[in-house]
Parts: sequence; C-alpha cells; structure tokens
Amino acid sequence: MRYAFSTGLPLLYQISKGFTVTAQSSQNILIMFEKSLYDLIRGLRNHKGNEREYIHNSLRECRTEIKGSDMDVKATALLKLVYLEMFGHDMSWASFHVLEVMSSPKYLQKRVGYLGAVQSFRPDTEVLMLATNLLKKDITSPLLPTMSLPMVTIPHIITPSLALSLLSDLLPRTSHSHPTIRKKTIAALYRLALVYPETLRHAWPKIKDLLMDEHEDPSVTAAVINIVCELGWRRPRDFLSLAPRLFDLLVDGGNNWMAIKIIKLFATLTPLEPRLMKKLLPPLSTLIRTTPAMSLLYECINGIVQGGILEGTNGAREGEEIASLCVDKLRGMVIVEGDPNLKYVALLAFNKIVISHPHLVSMHQDVILSCIDDPDISIRLQALDLGASMVNRGILNSVVDRLMRQLSNAPVLTSADLAEIERKRFQGVEPAADSDDEDPAESLRQPDKRADSVPSLPDEYRVTVIRHILGMCSRDTYANITDFDWYIDVLVRLVRLVPSFTEFPEAQPGVNWENRSAELTSADVSSAIGSELRNVAVRVRTVRAEAVGAADSLIAISGREQLFPRTGNGGQGVLPFAAWIVGEYADSLPDRHNTLTSLLHHSVFSSSSETICAYLQAVPKVFASIAARDDESWGTERQSLTSLLLARIAHLYESLTRHPNLEVQERSVEFLELMRVAAEAVASHAEVNNAGPLLLTRALPSLFTGMELNPVAPSAQRKVPLPDGLNLDEPFNHDLAKVLQRANEELVPDPEYAEAERVYHQRPTPKLEIGPAREMIKPANQTGFSYQHNAEEALADVRLAARQRAERNKDDPFYIAHEDTSSGTSTPFHDILKSSNGEVVDIDSIPIMNLDLGDRNPMDDELEKETPKGKHKRVRHFQIATDENIDVEDSAKESTSATANRTIIDSMLPQRSNAKRSLLEVDSSGLVSFSLEDENESITDRRLKSETRKAEEEEMERALKEVERVRLEMQRASERVAVEDGTPLDGTVVKKKKKKKKLPGTATAPQIGVPSGDKRTSGTGSTEAGFVVKAKKKKKVQKPEV
Amino acid sequence: MINAVLVFNNSGQPRLTKFYTQLDTSVQQRLISEIFTLVSHRPNSACNFLPLPPLLASSSKSPTPSQPHNDTPSLITYRHYATLYFILISTSTESPLALLDLIQVFVEALDRLFENVCELDLIFNFETLHAVLGEMVVGGVVVETGLDKVVEGVRGQGKVLKRPTGDGRGGGLGSGFAGFRAVGDGVWSGR
Repeated sequence: MRYAFSTGLPLLYQISKGFTVTAQSSQNILIMFEKSLYDLIRGLRNHKGNEREYIHNSLRECRTEIKGSDMDVKATALLKLVYLEMFGHDMSWASFHVLEVMSSPKYLQKRVGYLGAVQSFRPDTEVLMLATNLLKKDITSPLLPTMSLPMVTIPHIITPSLALSLLSDLLPRTSHSHPTIRKKTIAALYRLALVYPETLRHAWPKIKDLLMDEHEDPSVTAAVINIVCELGWRRPRDFLSLAPRLFDLLVDGGNNWMAIKIIKLFATLTPLEPRLMKKLLPPLSTLIRTTPAMSLLYECINGIVQGGILEGTNGAREGEEIASLCVDKLRGMVIVEGDPNLKYVALLAFNKIVISHPHLVSMHQDVILSCIDDPDISIRLQALDLGASMVNRGILNSVVDRLMRQLSNAPVLTSADLAEIERKRFQGVEPAADSDDEDPAESLRQPDKRADSVPSLPDEYRVTVIRHILGMCSRDTYANITDFDWYIDVLVRLVRLVPSFTEFPEAQPGVNWENRSAELTSADVSSAIGSELRNVAVRVRTVRAEAVGAADSLIAISGREQLFPRTGNGGQGVLPFAAWIVGEYADSLPDRHNTLTSLLHHSVFSSSSETICAYLQAVPKVFASIAARDDESWGTERQSLTSLLLARIAHLYESLTRHPNLEVQERSVEFLELMRVAAEAVASHAEVNNAGPLLLTRALPSLFTGMELNPVAPSAQRKVPLPDGLNLDEPFNHDLAKVLQRANEELVPDPEYAEAERVYHQRPTPKLEIGPAREMIKPANQTGFSYQHNAEEALADVRLAARQRAERNKDDPFYIAHEDTSSGTSTPFHDILKSSNGEVVDIDSIPIMNLDLGDRNPMDDELEKETPKGKHKRVRHFQIATDENIDVEDSAKESTSATANRTIIDSMLPQRSNAKRSLLEVDSSGLVSFSLEDENESITDRRLKSETRKAEEEEMERALKEVERVRLEMQRASERVAVEDGTPLDGTVVKKKKKKKKLPGTATAPQIGVPSGDKRTSGTGSTEAGFVVKAKKKKKVQKPEV
Repeated sequence: MINAVLVFNNSGQPRLTKFYTQLDTSVQQRLISEIFTLVSHRPNSACNFLPLPPLLASSSKSPTPSQPHNDTPSLITYRHYATLYFILISTSTESPLALLDLIQVFVEALDRLFENVCELDLIFNFETLHAVLGEMVVGGVVVETGLDKVVEGVRGQGKVLKRPTGDGRGGGLGSGFAGFRAVGDGVWSGR
C-alpha cells in the first residue's frame, strides 16, 4: 500500500492498523471501528482510477466480516456497508446482521445497527418482524441515548403491524421527564399514525395535553406544533377547538419557527371558521409591520393569502388595507432586498394573490416583468407564470417580444456541455477519489464564490416559454391580440426556436424514457405552434392569406435549411399543420406549383409518418386546385404539364405504398389509384371547347371542397338533440346472445369458416401482380368503347356514387353535403333540426359565426374600403370566429349535466392522485377518515356530524370519563387479582397479561376499544368518577370469587 | 414534512443521504444524480430553490394553487457551502425560507461539534452527521431548531471525534464565526 498523504498521516494510519490486527477484542470500540472506516475511505482515496474494483473487494471483505461472531468486527463491517450504501451499493442482504448489531449491548455498536436499519430497511425487509421485541426493549431502556435510537429509527421502518405492537410502549414516553424524549416520541407517533390511524385515538389526547400545558418546555411545544400542523391540513375541523391556545402561542410565543407553523395551520382553519379571520388580522398585520424576520413576514402574507383572509375580508376597510400592505411588502421583497430567494418567494405569493386580486398585482407589473429577464431561471419561470396570468391587450406585444428576444439571444448549450450533462446524468456516482482541484479540507464557513456565468437556457425552459407565449396569445379566443400579422410572424419565428430533441443520443437502454419524455415535449410544443397557426387560418379569415403564406414558407423546401437551422428537427411537429393549411386553402397559395414541388420533395421520406400522412392529403388538394383553374384554357402545354405533375405524384406515392406505417400505406394506395385514373383521363382527353377533362376540373376538386370548415366547440357534439324515434338503448339485435352462442357452437368447419381460416391462418403466397392502372381497366376496353367514353362513364359512375351517397347521407347531420359549396345556412343539418324539432329549437337564432366578409357590419366595410387590402398600415379589425355550438333551450339541464360531469371528474381526481403517487411521498390519506374528536364515535354518530360543537365536546367529555372509569375499574380489578394470586405488584407487563386473562371471566367486562396496555397517567381521573368505580368494583370483584 | 435530506459535494459524491420514506437504493441514487445535475448548473446568484427533478416532477405535474397542502414533495431547498451542497426535499407544509434557516442551523451545529467543520470531517464522521440530523429531524418532522440543544443532544451520545490531525491541507480558512454566515443570511433571521 502506498499513502498519498504524506503529512504525518502514515504513522497514524499504521497505528490504527495495529489496533485492528492486534487489539482485535479491544475494549475501546470507538477507535476500533473508526479506524476501520478510515481504512476504507483512505483506501478509496488511494485507489484513484480503479475505485470500482476496490469497492468490490471491500464489499467482499465486509461480507465475511459481518458473518463472524465478533461483535466489534460485525459493527465495523456494518458501518462500512452503510457508508458504501450511500454510494448505491445495495446492502439489503445484510438485514439480519443489521438486526444482530442492533441488539448489541454496547451503545455505539447499537447506534451503528440502528443507522443500518434506517438506511437499508425497505418495505419488503423480512427480518422486521424479529425487530419488534428489540425495539420494545430499547424504548423502555433506562439510558437516554439508547432510548432515542428506536424513536429516530421507527419512523423509517414502521408498518401497520409494527405500529400496533409498539404503540403501547411508545405512549408512556410522551410523559418522559426529558424533553428530548418527549419530542422524539410524538414525532414517532405521528409516523405511526400515518400507517396506522388508530394510533391517534390514544396518542392524540397526550399530544393535546403537551400542547395545552403552558409549563411545557418551549422546544417540545414547537415540535408538537409541527406535528399538529402536519395533522391539521388533513382534518382541519378537528383542530378548531385548539384555536385559542394556538392564538396565544402565536402572540406570545416569541419563537419564529413556531409562529410560522402556527400561521400555516391557521391558514387551513380560517376557511372553516370565518370568525377567526377577524381575530387573526390584527396580530398578523402587526407582525407584518414589525417583524425583522423575513421568513415570518413572508409566511404571514402567505397565510393571509392561503387562508382566504383576503377574500373573506374583501370590501371591508381593513381587508383592503391588509391586501395593499401585503402587496407592498412583497414588492419590497422583490426590489429592495436584491435577494434572489426573497424575489422567488415573493413571486410565489404574487402568483397566489393574482387569482383573487388581479388589479392589485397588476399595479406592480413593472417589477414583475423585470423578473422575466432575471438571470435565475426559477425566478423567470415564476415571473412567466405571473406575467401570463396578468397579461392584457396593452402589454401582450411587449411581453411576447421580450420573451422572443430572450429565447433567441440565449446561448445554446454546446455539445461539450451536453456531453458533460450526459455523463453526470447517466453515470451513477462512484465514491471516487477526490480530485486535486478541490479541497475537502476547505472550511464550510466560507460561502462559495464561484464565477457567475451567463446561464444557457435549458430546453425545458425554452419549451415552457413557448407554451406560455402560445397560451397568452390564444387566451379567450385571441381576445388580447390586436395584430394578427404580428402573431403569425411570432408563430413562424417560434418554430425556429423550438429546441431540438435528438441532440441527446439514445444512450443506455434503461434511461430511454427520459429522452423520450424530452422528445415528446419538444414535439408537442411544435405541434402546438402548428395548431395555433391552423387556428388562426381557420378562425381569422382576414389574415387567412397571410397564414397560408406562412404555412407555405414553413413547407418550402428552399427555406428548410434556414428555417430549421440548428434545431434540426425540433420544429418539425409544425409541418403536418402547415401541410393541412396549404392543402385546405390551396387557392390562397401564392405559387401552387412551387408548393407542390416542396410537398413532393424526396425529403418527405425522412419525416415522421404523421407528417407524411398530412402531406399525402395535401398533395391532391393542391393538385386539384391547380387542375381546376379556369383562367387558363386547356391546351397541349397544360396537358403535358398536368400529366407531368401526375407522374411525379404517382412516383412519390408509389414509393410510399411500402412505408412501414399503415396509415401512410393506406392513404398512398388510395390516392395513387385516384392519380392513375386522373392520368388516364388526361392522356385520353380530347380537346373540346378548351375544357379540361371533367375528372380533373370538376370531380377531383369536388372531393375537397364543400362547406366552409368552422371551429366547433368540443361540447357541441353532446348537445345535438336526439332525433325522434331513435332509441339508443334498444339493442340492434335482440337475439344477440343466441347468435353468439350459435357462433360458439358452430365450430364445425363449414365452407365459409374454412375460407376465413384460410385467410387468417395460412401464409399467403406472394402475388405481385400490381401493374399500372391502365392494365387493370383493360377488360373494359375490350368491350370496344373508346377511352373517352370510358372515362366519361367512370366519371358518371363517380357522380352516380356521389349522388347515391348524398341520398344516403341526407339525413345524417354530420355529413357535409359537397354539392352545397356555399356555407349557407340551409344545410341538411339545419333542415333536419328544423323539421324534426319544429319551433322548440330555433336553429336560426343560434349565433353561428359566419365568416363571410359581407356579414360584417357596415363600419368594417368602410374600413376595408379605405384601406387597400394587402398593404395595411392601419390596425386592422380582425374578426375571430368563435367555437360553434348548439344552444339547446333547456340550458338548465345542460348546466346540471355539466356540473354532473364535473363532479364525476372531481370524484375521479383524488383516485388518480392516489394511483400516481410521488416517489418520496408519505401517504397520509388514512388520516382523512379518522376523527380525533370522539373516541367512541359510531357510524351512526358520524351521520350526525352537523351537531353543534358544544354537544360534541360534551359527548367527548362523557366518553373520556367513561374511558377513565373503565380504566380505573380494570386497574382495580387487576390489582385485586394480583393480590389474590399472591404476585407482587411490580411489573406492568405482567399486569397487562393478567388483565387479559381475567377479563373474559368478568361478566360486566366493559367493551371498550382501549387496549389493555394503554397505561394512562393516573391521577387525572376526577374524584367523582373514582367513587363510581369503587362502587362498581366491589360488584365485579365478587364474581371471580364466586 | 421533510421528505429527504441530502448532502453531496461539488462533484456529486454523496456525504449524507436520509430519506424519510423507504426507497430502493437505485432510485435513491438516480434522484441524487438528478438533483445534482440541477443544482450544479446554477450560478451562485440564483435563488436557493430548485425545480423538481424529472423523477419527482412526473408524478406531481399539476401546480394547482387550489390545493396548497399535499403529501407530494413540492419544494427543494438547497444551500451551498464551500465544497458541499445541503439539500432538503419537503412538502408544501414547510416554509421555504425557514428551511433555508434550518440548513443553516444544521451546518452551524456541525461547525460547533467539529470546530471549523470541513468536508473531511463529514466524510470520516458520517455517523455524527446522522446523529446531528437525528436531533433536528425525526421522521421528517422538525423537532429541534435550537443550536445549543442540538449540539448538547449530540454530545450526550458520546465524544465527537475530529478527523485525524494532519490530515488534509491545513485547517479551516475561516478564522472567526463572523465569516461563517452564508450569502444572504441576516436578511431574514427566522430563528
């Protein structure tokens, strides 16, 4: 071995080595295991580079050492294991040895054992059952430090069954003479209660006593307050009775830690007891004005906000006063102090106040918005939330521009940085040797002063900012936007700012999900941008041309490199939406041929299948728009151009028919056939009156044109009234059960079944006979018709089919009849509603936002006349289409069903949160159903919850007396029994057993849910009760004698 | 309540891990490294509150202010002293500023016990580190915030040992208690 540290260390080290070897059974255990841990740590520091191997060897050593019989060695090995566990080396296998060390008689060894239990026991550790007696023994240890060990350990390892058996031992410790024990006991009891709510039935009176006792040690009171605060938010109502005591403690406590917790507790109580607000307001405002402690000041404000005191006192003079006082103080925290922590919490508080008092917060807009550019990202995010919730027409542009600047100016993480992050993220930390550049001997007193650097924005933050921008702008259907040209420009620029999601290489398999989630957010946000762009294109007809232009620029292959320069594929989620826009509004495209070229570019192969689908749909639309042009006469030039286009489309589609994605395959096959038919039509078209083939000029466009697409409210579908005579509850087939049964029975292979089996179970022989469409149509040709005729007939077929379909769907309210190209009001939908519902539903009165420009009021038209379209210098008036909906007359029913819906959702919410519990979460939901108030409360009593407080308290008092009486009774009885048996009255444990044995014998044995082990501190029972007991006792004692 | 207490150094080496719920060792390690990634990228001027790491954020995504109290850990507070980060993960029932003070008390207690504490003390006496924490927090509940009582409680358990003399390169750099307080302390004095 070599020693890297030459400063006098080797000597000491060797001495320690000597101890280990020679003084194996040294009495001084301290030196013993300490040095051994030194050994390990020292060794780690000396084995720089191959720590892994060193640790492996050490673990093996520990394994043998811990199995030995020498307790010193055992404890040392355990301590080393605990140290290595900190670095992620599992030690669950050693749980039995942990138990062995725990049972050591020496305190310092015991302490190691308990530490091992805390750090390594997991819910599935089996030896826990064996620990029960040990824990019981140590809880009752006469030594203070030993007694503390189980108290600190129990919270980590507690289970319901362990709680049940330990409760009776822990309870007496709440009245231990030493305050430290009392504190730790109630903390342990709290954790017991979380897994075993019954604990509170016995522990709560004791905790309450401690709280009420004015002569109690202040630190115990503070600890009790902490626990009461934790319990309080689960069942605030049970704690209202404590309010006077809490109030006194708040006013005269003089302990800021405690005051903070009391205020937090009050914040949950005030909503239940409005009178508390009036009482609390003066002391709180005094505290806010006078306290020098910022934490207390902040919690006062927070308590006022969370306790609903602002809402509660709204309107009243002092309410306004306190609100502005709070907001002023918060403003002070943001600007005056210059402390990032205060800034952060102040923004948190603002975020809560803004819900109830937006006007007060927006007065401080200046400071809040300045925080958006704060170097600290946490502060930025808070300011962003706040900004988003208080943004209005006036400041929207400036806020968004500010955020855009921030996004585009921030330095991008270099690949070196990313590699570093990767390394740290995916490589588990090994207890490596200390690197030379840091000094572990550096005093912690020195606050760290590393150089500040400009923060590069993490991708999550970028995504959040983009989301907020979209959210702010689209709030209330674009209520805040005054200039849509600006908004479209913002959207296009945002696409470039979407962070990329493939810069993280697909690393180790185990951590892939992390990458995936990052990817998803990026992809989501870019499709959110796309969705916004589509929304604008659909809703705001005035700027539709601009929106289409923007979408076109996103699609354009020429700008691809420039548009997605560094983000690679970050913004690609926008493409499906852009493709949809250019397809749907192809007529507004500046250059359709160019767009079509971009759509047909071979780069489409590398896109996501979702994008390809959108492209597949958009291409025929754009093509149809080109083909349907009336302005140009059909000539040879156009014919050849069209067939060229068709050939290109067919070429691309053909290659996509073998795409792995099913949806892509299906769409491409469908459209490919259509394109082939169209190509036939073009090739065989004889020029008549300069008109193109009808398939191209009429049929193809009619596939894609129809009624104007309008935004429809998500709830509209639900509101469609049921047509008469449609009974949704009636089954289609009454004999369904029989049919199914028959299907089951008829497993005998009939020809049909055999056919089906052949299709499903036999591997088909590959049959590649797909030829061009021309060959497929050949049989028709043989009949002697000309191509022309044939095409005409095909067209006629198409028309016939369309007519039939229209006929069939006439009554279908959801079918958009394509003959009806105008977005007029008389659609089949309306007709059917009108005819079937008569006057009950006046459909025409439904405010359907009509997007026709002619619909606008004359003012707008004048405006329009004044400003030449296209070159708009003035602020244009934008009309935004709102969601269409059906207003059924019985709105009452609507609202009830809506609320019913909401309640259903609400009732589902807690379940969901239960199902998805956070990692570190300690579930306290068991406490919700547990009442602290009435010990003998039955289920029927619970129904009478609405009784007055007083009655409940009386009942509780009565119950307490009853319990006390019974307890005394039992005690006397057992004493009597003990005397009779001739056993001395010393051991409490013995007594307990006796009691259990004897109780069944007594006919009047009280059926009370108090375990016999519950030893209350006697002497509290009233004398009155005592008399009653005496009288009863005689009766009872006689029985065993009989 | 407090869900976890972590101490690690500038390169992410854990010096103390205490989880008040039972977690798999591997999950613990992942959480530590996630938090370390978050914390090590923060400039010193940044505030001492961390956003939730992916492991914790995934399950408590909804920041609904309508539910102020909740069992989910929602608050990560840290302080950076010389070579060490001290981290507290807690639910919203704790006060953020008070937690910062709690870390301060923890470090001050260590400083008292070790006399000018440094990372080496904590490496070699990590048991004492646990003992100090055990005096202050039991089962996630803060039971003591008084410096004197904490120190007294730990000393009551036995002699606190210093690291071997001569180890490391020189003692602490701060010569008096005045140099101890961290940045921004004194602005609020919650105790």
